Amino acid sequence: MDRRKFLGLGLAALAIVPMTKLNATDFRKEKPDAWKATTPEDAIKALYGDAKAEEKGVKIKAPKLAENGGKIPVVVKSDIDAKSVALLQDSNPRSLVAVWTIPEGGIVDFSVTMKMKKSGKITAIVEGKDGKLYSKVLPIEVSKGGCGG
Amino acid sequence: MKVKAKEKDGIVKVKVLAKHQNIGPEEAEKKKKEANFITSVVAKVGDKVVYEMNGSGFMSKNPLYKFKFKGAKKGDELEVTWTDLKGNTKTKKVKIK
Repeated sequence: MDRRKFLGLGLAALAIVPMTKLNATDFRKEKPDAWKATTPEDAIKALYGDAKAEEKGVKIKAPKLAENGGKIPVVVKSDIDAKSVALLQDSNPRSLVAVWTIPEGGIVDFSVTMKMKKSGKITAIVEGKDGKLYSKVLPIEVSKGGCGG
Repeated sequence: MKVKAKEKDGIVKVKVLAKHQNIGPEEAEKKKKEANFITSVVAKVGDKVVYEMNGSGFMSKNPLYKFKFKGAKKGDELEVTWTDLKGNTKTKKVKIK
């Protein structure tokens, strides 16, 4: 093995080691079913069990009419002391878009750009430290689908 | 990847623009490309994790992530790392302004 490659490998290994320790909760590994669920209801069940979500305390900001479904800016906000937050929708083949783990002192104010195949509803679920679930549902219209369609 | 971090009144606002195709399985079939998307984004100040997200293939191409956090000051170093489905990672360090 030449020296350059060897050094590269060493660097790669160094980069990977702290990465594995980094995540407090890797939702993709721990809750694989949630990522396969086709409806928001099933995904929420896979993530948080049977608990019913109260519809309060959570805000979603998104355009009412999204011209380009390939890049829809969505903001999730909440003042609840939260453990985790999940973002879902019901127009794509699978429902779950993202899950955030909230670190100590974290602020629930996240913005992402997501894809939607057609018009549908965006759901945000906040898992409070009190063990309760809070939710918000926002319907949006998409004029041009963004999932390669 | 572009990262901007700005502190004001104890709250740090961060913008992360990742360069990634973010192709979900259905899109991959249509475009005859391999499915690959960002599965996790983690940001740290020192050893402290300040942002942690797991994502699916329904994030947009070249996604923009914005978030806020407390507990850091100007001059601190923010480290942002993303990992994709194939295990590629990219890390960027910036100073909080």
